[in-house]
Amino acid sequence: MPPLLKLILRRLGLGVLTLFLVSLVVFGATQALPGDPAKAILGKQSADKAMYQALRRQLNLDRPVYVQYESWLKGVVTGHMGTSLASGTTVTSLIGQKVANSFALVLLAALISIPISLLIGSLSALWRDSVFDLTASVGSLALAALPEFVIAMLLILLFATAVTHVLPAVSRIPPGSTPWAQWDMLILPVLTLVLAVAPYISRILRASMIEVLESDYVQMARLKGMPERTVLQRHALPNAIIPAIQVSALQLAWLAGGVVVVEYVFNYPGIGSAFIDAVNNRDLPVVQAIALLIAAVYVCANLLADILTILVSPRLRTGLR
Amino acid sequence: MQPEDRNDELDFFYKQYTRRDVVKGAVVAGAGVSLASLLAACGSSGTTSNSSIAPSASPKQGGSLRVGVVGGSAKENLDGQIATTEPEIANCFQLYDALLGWDANYHLKNLLAEEVTPNADATVWTVKLRQGVVFHNGQTMTADDVIYSYNRIIDPKNPKMGATQLAALKSSGMKKLDDYTVQFTLTSPNSVFDEAMAVYGNTIVPQDFNPKNPIGTGPFKLKSFSPGQQIAYTANTDYWGEGPHVDDLTIIEYSDPTARVNAFLGGQVDAITNLPSSQIKVVQGAGRLVLDAHTGAWQPFTMRIDQKPFNDPKVRQAFRLVVDRKAMIDQAYAGYGWVGNDMYAPFDPGTPKLPQREQDLEQAKSLLKSAGYDNDLTVTLTTSDAVGGSAVSAAQVFAQQAKGAGVTVNVNKVDSSIFYGDQYLSWTFAQDFWYTRNYLAQANQGTMPTAPYNETHWKDAQWLSLVQQAFKTGDKAKRDDLVGQAQTIEYNTGGLLVWAFNDQIDGYANNVRGAVPDKGGVPLSSFHFNQFFFI
Repeated sequence: MPPLLKLILRRLGLGVLTLFLVSLVVFGATQALPGDPAKAILGKQSADKAMYQALRRQLNLDRPVYVQYESWLKGVVTGHMGTSLASGTTVTSLIGQKVANSFALVLLAALISIPISLLIGSLSALWRDSVFDLTASVGSLALAALPEFVIAMLLILLFATAVTHVLPAVSRIPPGSTPWAQWDMLILPVLTLVLAVAPYISRILRASMIEVLESDYVQMARLKGMPERTVLQRHALPNAIIPAIQVSALQLAWLAGGVVVVEYVFNYPGIGSAFIDAVNNRDLPVVQAIALLIAAVYVCANLLADILTILVSPRLRTGLR
Repeated sequence: MQPEDRNDELDFFYKQYTRRDVVKGAVVAGAGVSLASLLAACGSSGTTSNSSIAPSASPKQGGSLRVGVVGGSAKENLDGQIATTEPEIANCFQLYDALLGWDANYHLKNLLAEEVTPNADATVWTVKLRQGVVFHNGQTMTADDVIYSYNRIIDPKNPKMGATQLAALKSSGMKKLDDYTVQFTLTSPNSVFDEAMAVYGNTIVPQDFNPKNPIGTGPFKLKSFSPGQQIAYTANTDYWGEGPHVDDLTIIEYSDPTARVNAFLGGQVDAITNLPSSQIKVVQGAGRLVLDAHTGAWQPFTMRIDQKPFNDPKVRQAFRLVVDRKAMIDQAYAGYGWVGNDMYAPFDPGTPKLPQREQDLEQAKSLLKSAGYDNDLTVTLTTSDAVGGSAVSAAQVFAQQAKGAGVTVNVNKVDSSIFYGDQYLSWTFAQDFWYTRNYLAQANQGTMPTAPYNETHWKDAQWLSLVQQAFKTGDKAKRDDLVGQAQTIEYNTGGLLVWAFNDQIDGYANNVRGAVPDKGGVPLSSFHFNQFFFI
């Protein structure tokens, strides 16, 4: 079996173990929270003891804790994510569309931000201390310093409510519709996420690119008379890109973690706000489902980053054996 | 890179940034900060003050009404009898009707009941039903459906929201006299049983009611439901009452107030509930209209009369004199409220006109001194965002004002699940929220020994006998007098600090009519969307 495949399988195995541990921690944490789903659903009316007890019975909360976990686990390994305690519908029907919505957002944000950041980062490094570099530096530092919701609000004021009215102010994908059908609603949230994520990737790339461009082998390539473009593409970029890959993977996982603030500001039906709502409702099946989904994305993103790193560095490729 | 090169790099770096550049940078940063406020100012060009509506335009049929409400939680359901969150309450008024209801001036009005007659001692209530009312599936509403609905509400195995107020009604006490007449026999007299029938959650449903596929007699039929996101309706063309004038209605939920206002400003919804007072000028500047209703909704400070220091009525009195009510309204409600006088049923005809309490720090200090506290009283005030918008601000204002009387108040803000968790109703000094009610209905919920939400653990033998007598008194004038006496006792020694009643502020587009300010405190004219129309 090729060593790369062995590595992938081993990492996937560890990933499954990670997910199991995550589910245990999430279960424990939700139990440790004050209140229970019945209280969360009834709110102030949980003081009405008769209603409260009736609801507890309905939601099977009177079973011991480990029995609840066990039955949930049994469901998950057979592919049934369970039933939401708060809404009574299956978890998949509750968050299925939201997962698709978040996926669309993350995919677009990643597809746009990564190439742009790589471009800006490399050009900044190449034209160091030029006007372009300084503008890019100040710009990315300013964007990194601003919280996402401030960026979001500024974009909304600029494009939707105050200065111009060209884009929708709120990106509420109607239930049953797909994000692609409402593509104009995706523009502002994706732009916000791109502006939130791009500074980090471009800064990292710029720093590592500067270091690589100073290295001996790049000097050697230039002295050999190679065109600058070949120097960049074949020698500088593959080495400089490694930290950028790692950072991109982290940002991707952060994006998938449900960018709650952006979802709130745009009223975008994604998994971030669903997660918060589920925690408020102590809705354990939904909390578990989303937590496991996010953990899986982290595991896969890191795995992908490591594989790419290996593929890009010949040293690591041969070192696999 | 050689060390010498590095020095050159640094010099080069520093040469780039002269003092002039630093100053330039600061100017750019400052410009960026003012850019945001400039953008906001661009949007609100001048204000048009318009908080009244013009109902003189004649209703135009048709259109699709979209309303933004506070919501976003997956825990919602369409069973009107357990409606607690705002979208669920809004749904109550679209899909269903109760037997009675409240009009915009907080007077009882007939809905599915045409005539409600109590007997002499208010133990037997006869209800004549409106004829010709059909459910959304075409079935006619009859007495059997009413009896089924009320049984469903009081079901001891699965009681609904309205069950505590209907405690005197048992299944055996419901009798069908004929297809359109129901008789309720109560186990104890209740002279205001009609108010219990008017609670919006006591909805009338058909005998084969299934919450997963809800049907009622209301002005709108359910089209689709996505919990936490939206509820879509179509007009019920066979509705017995007014309208509906629009063809479709969509109730859209927003968990974030900013997103809700933005959707409104961006024209993605035609009306919204709970407009933050800070956004009123912005909304008016964008050509939208504001609905400002003076309601009887209140957020009291609650003092447990069975715990130190509030077991001494002098301390309770002192605390009531600490508050500068007008200032608290200005600070916590941005002026959108009206002053309360420690009595909680402002629209009840039995509420007496007692001297308005003002802030009197000297009197408060002397009361505290006679109770044994000489500038050394320290209390903890427990509050939470769950109590409602401005409760925490009011708590902080109270702590400020209390300093003037030598009282140290430590504001303890806790999470909603803790505040309304196991310790709810045990907090010594806290807050709570209530909607508009008349006195006896409120007592049933908050101050009677059997009340589910007795935050102050109020107990007073003389008061109790007055209230029990009032429940038995059918004669309105006599009942009002008893209510007045009971209110006076609470005014003097009660544990509730009712400092104000808050306004309900909503917004609607200027091509929408039919919204009237509603004293009941339920947003957007008590969600009477059947009255709304486009012009």
